[in-house]
Amino acid sequence: MNPAALIPTPDAIPVPWGWFYVLLMLTFLLHLLVMNAMLGGGIIALISALKNGKQDNLIGKEIGYKWPYTIAFAVNLGVAPLLFVQVLYGQFIYSSSVLMAVWWFSIFGLLILAYYAAYLYDFKFEALGSLRVFVLEFAVCILLYIAFMFSNNMTMMLQPDAWQAYFENGSGTLIMLSDSSLFPRYLHFVVGAVAVAGLFIALIGHFNFIKSAVNKEALISKGMKYFTYATAIQVFIGFWFLIALPKQVMMVFMGGSAYGTGLLLVGIILGFAVLYCGYKQMVIASSSITLIALIDMIFMRDLVRIAYLEPYFKVSDLVVKPEYSSLILFLATFALGLGMIAYMLKLAFGCRKEVSK
Amino acid sequence: MNYPVWDLTTFGGGFIIALVAVVHVLVSHFAVGGGLFLVLLEQKAYKQNDDGLLGYVKKHSKFFLLLTMVFGGLTGVGIWWTIALLNPAATSSLIHTFVFGWAAEWVFFLTEIIALFIYFYTFGKMERKKHLIIGWLYFFSAWMSLFLINGIIGYMLTPGAWIEDHSFWSGFFNPTFWPSLVFRTGLSLVLCGVFGFVTAAFLKDAKLRQNIMRTCAMWVAIPFTLMVAGGWWYFNSIPEPAITIILEKSPEIANYLQLLAWAMPIFFIASMVMLIRLPNSFQRVFCFVIVAIALIYFGAFEFIREGGRRPFIIYDYMYSNQVYVDDVPEIQKNGFLTKAKWTEHKEITPDNLLAAGKDLFKYQCSACHSVGGVLNDIMPLIKKYDSPFGMDSKLNGLGKLNHYMPHFMGTTEERWALASYIVQELNGINPQDTANLVIDAKELPVTIPPFDKEKDEYVLLAWNNLGMHCISDSDPFWILLPPANDLYAQLVKRGDSPEIITEGVEISYQVQEGFEYPEKQVQFWNYADKLLGANLAPGVGVGGLKVSGLMNLEEDHAAFTAPFIPVVPYPEDGSFNPFPIFTITAKDKETGEILMTTKTVAPTSTEMGCKNCHGGGWRVASVAGFTDETSLDVLAAHDKNSGTNLVERATNGEPMLCQSCHADPVLGTKGDPELLNFPAAIHGWHANFLTDREGMDACVACHPSRPDGPTQCFRSHHSEFMDCTSCHGTMEDHSLSLLKHELEAGKKGAARLMENLQARVVDSVEDINPRIPWMNEPDCLNCHEDFDMGSTTDAFNTWTAGGDELFRNRHDQMEAMMCAACHSSPHAVYPATLNKLGENRDSIQPLQYQGNDRPIGNDCTVCHTVQPDFEGHHPNSLR
Repeated sequence: MNPAALIPTPDAIPVPWGWFYVLLMLTFLLHLLVMNAMLGGGIIALISALKNGKQDNLIGKEIGYKWPYTIAFAVNLGVAPLLFVQVLYGQFIYSSSVLMAVWWFSIFGLLILAYYAAYLYDFKFEALGSLRVFVLEFAVCILLYIAFMFSNNMTMMLQPDAWQAYFENGSGTLIMLSDSSLFPRYLHFVVGAVAVAGLFIALIGHFNFIKSAVNKEALISKGMKYFTYATAIQVFIGFWFLIALPKQVMMVFMGGSAYGTGLLLVGIILGFAVLYCGYKQMVIASSSITLIALIDMIFMRDLVRIAYLEPYFKVSDLVVKPEYSSLILFLATFALGLGMIAYMLKLAFGCRKEVSK
Repeated sequence: MNYPVWDLTTFGGGFIIALVAVVHVLVSHFAVGGGLFLVLLEQKAYKQNDDGLLGYVKKHSKFFLLLTMVFGGLTGVGIWWTIALLNPAATSSLIHTFVFGWAAEWVFFLTEIIALFIYFYTFGKMERKKHLIIGWLYFFSAWMSLFLINGIIGYMLTPGAWIEDHSFWSGFFNPTFWPSLVFRTGLSLVLCGVFGFVTAAFLKDAKLRQNIMRTCAMWVAIPFTLMVAGGWWYFNSIPEPAITIILEKSPEIANYLQLLAWAMPIFFIASMVMLIRLPNSFQRVFCFVIVAIALIYFGAFEFIREGGRRPFIIYDYMYSNQVYVDDVPEIQKNGFLTKAKWTEHKEITPDNLLAAGKDLFKYQCSACHSVGGVLNDIMPLIKKYDSPFGMDSKLNGLGKLNHYMPHFMGTTEERWALASYIVQELNGINPQDTANLVIDAKELPVTIPPFDKEKDEYVLLAWNNLGMHCISDSDPFWILLPPANDLYAQLVKRGDSPEIITEGVEISYQVQEGFEYPEKQVQFWNYADKLLGANLAPGVGVGGLKVSGLMNLEEDHAAFTAPFIPVVPYPEDGSFNPFPIFTITAKDKETGEILMTTKTVAPTSTEMGCKNCHGGGWRVASVAGFTDETSLDVLAAHDKNSGTNLVERATNGEPMLCQSCHADPVLGTKGDPELLNFPAAIHGWHANFLTDREGMDACVACHPSRPDGPTQCFRSHHSEFMDCTSCHGTMEDHSLSLLKHELEAGKKGAARLMENLQARVVDSVEDINPRIPWMNEPDCLNCHEDFDMGSTTDAFNTWTAGGDELFRNRHDQMEAMMCAACHSSPHAVYPATLNKLGENRDSIQPLQYQGNDRPIGNDCTVCHTVQPDFEGHHPNSLR
């Protein structure tokens, strides 16, 4: 059977695809940052709990304070890119989701458990004592599971030729284990998350958003260490991921496309630059370069998607039935929302100062 | 069909989405109203300088955060997650139509989170006025989320003008937008009180606890009016046909409506109980009871709202099974499997029949039906179907008479594949085991009575008037025809000018051995008083006659008749014999001398195929008769579709005659003048399930006319080149002719039954001539013009003007001999050699009097001692 015959007919979009593309990239970047802090933060908290040193425990406690926030925002900021990816690539992601429906469905239920575990860890840090490590293991395992399922779905949605497995198994339990890019993709995200979370805790220290009794210097130094080690490992995983891609996809970054090759080169250079900055414990420089590297990487990720789907579809194929008034509704709401957020943060930070006085 | 379907079986039928949605909507509405509850109570605490109350608000805000943000927020995402797995096509449609509505809702979700975090974490640390502002901003954000989602949910049930213009705004501000918003806002405020009970119940300070309990009770009571008013407005805003489906038609919704009706007052009263000072231990348990009642109440509402949308997921746009309404005509024409993307079998072959059927089940049925699961389990619904024919017929009629299910979408071959899959794979039945038996013809001995052409002075002709009388021996439950067969006889005195004798003679009838005691074979006499209002002694028919007795003179016809003889097709040996033979004897009344003796069959069959679709199998000899199961299912179907209580009546010993409500000229019942007459109702209803059948396939499903069946009632030579449809039309045509008369008579039920029927023999419904059953019938002369051989076999659509013109009631042109006296009964006119029980069985008199099986008078000298030279009976009679 021709895999293209399986691809559902997409629905029309109300404004040209560029709008959704920009919104997708922007909100995905935000999601990525917070999600990394959540997942990597959890992993670092777990490693710290296993080490069980004094500062390690305090780092764990400090992460505990921030952890529920990161989950809340990782979910919220995940909703937006998932919405926009459904607008642009719905016919792919809905299909692959059904193929792995059991795993996909389990995600939000498990996430609720992980979320409550995070609150338990936060609110009952002291009372839990040595049980903390189990709570962390429970929550981190769930988050790692969810990350794996995301990697699986993002891999499967790009490969309609793999969808035919549905005819052998329609019960929603398919996994792309045989796909060579699945594990490097997964590790690329998980290790990346540890690096970004390392930066996150270093930044907490740097800007003194510390709530626990953790030593500021220790927090920065540990954070930068996690960042640097993870980034160093990431160099190898990134290479593994690259060569694990199907040839026509890989070649986009190996001379097939000047744009793609350029992005890869920039990424490599930024990677080494950031390793240096990390080694030197330069928090702000590392953070700035990492942000640029992340933007570089989400564009590369987008190119991977385009190359995979190239035989079947490009977003410019989508039919547009223009209705700009609804876009205006959103933009107005977005502006209002940003205004409300700014105002509320102003009140909140003002309050912080009052209290500290 | 555009997307793959998650093979859920047990957990299908909407179970998963119901699970996620019901808990989510409860918490998410609480998340909206709870914001107002917090901020107003906080304000009150400040005003009254009530530290106890303030402490409660802070405690409640933690509960609120943990319940609404974690559980509420994630189950909300979970609903999206779930619908995308269960109905990706509809989800895609919702996402693409309302993408910026969703995006705006996401913005408020974000501000809601930020506001709630700040509210909770700065409680007691922030300046009071500012803290209240944060609270208000939270409530505003949460309510705006409700505002936006409300528009999109409402659109699914009532898309309104969107169907025409596909505009975001038409869909969003749809006909139920405002009433639903009022209802949901009211509900969200009511829920604050409900969850307030939970946190208040665990306060240690008894006085504070009771004060807050009372406050919470008022939070339930006051918005309750808003909620009820909004709910009422909402129900009144739902357009037809959805509201009729909700309130009257859907078997699925009825239980939830009842649950809603009970849960609402209980919910209110239980909440008001909290006004009373009660032991704390009771309050701690009872607060959760109230949450459970609220969950049931709101769950019932959501089930009704979802159920009201049947058979659509987006009303008038997409069916629940992800098929676009606009695609249906093409699917009906070219097939479902070729159009569906995720099916392996594009064409049906004998080898892939069941696999293709499975695919069809998955893509057309599984969206709403689980297999052996909790919700909408298909298994009890299909249990009765033991043959692909019955199941196929059910599928044929889906969505035509009741609109809560869609039509089957696809070709007749695909429908058969689905039916075969359901019967064979789901029901686990081998159709060969349950198929109607193929009955070969056999020769039962018949002794032809003697006739001496030289000596005998009389010719006795006897016949049955219809050619076949059916009996529904479903007596303990209902009947449509009691045991009743009508015999006619005419006695002719032979001569140069033969004479019909009606005086001075006595004509008796005597059933053949083995059939003397019908009361031992059927239960009719146990229920005759209930069924017919007549107190009949066992073995006595509704005309007062038994299976043997004297015939009465009917002067108008110059014939002797024995009406309603209660003969049944069950000889005492337990077999099935639809052609019992009666001996007819004419005697001189004075001398007792036997003038002539003859024999005739009284065709009587209980081979009525209700069981083909209603299940239950045959009762007698595996070929005929009603089982209790079949009889009950017929009533259950009637109850379900027409809101009657026939099952209850029957099980209480009150079976009914169908025609006591549905008038019927043949039984002379008046029925309910509002209702369709019986033949129109029964044919019109079932025609919707038996469309486009070949030849007489539809007829034989119910009538005893199956060529390979045990009765084969159409047994004259006509059956060699004609079938039922030649005279009566196809099932559709036949039904339409009956329904059209009822429609013109102003019967309201007719239009519904006609809606999905198309004329087949003639071009359109307009061309069909309406008729009264049993009065306006096809006639022999439609083909045999001027009594000639006939050049056509199409006798449909020209009807006799009235009952006196019927073949069975007509006489020759001298008004002497009845047509049937010489030609025998309809469906068995001579030569009628195709009787299943012997080729002579229907030709006794021609064989007796003229030695052949032709119509009487083939040899004029049977009656005329001198060969006549003019055609006295009818033109061409001397041919």
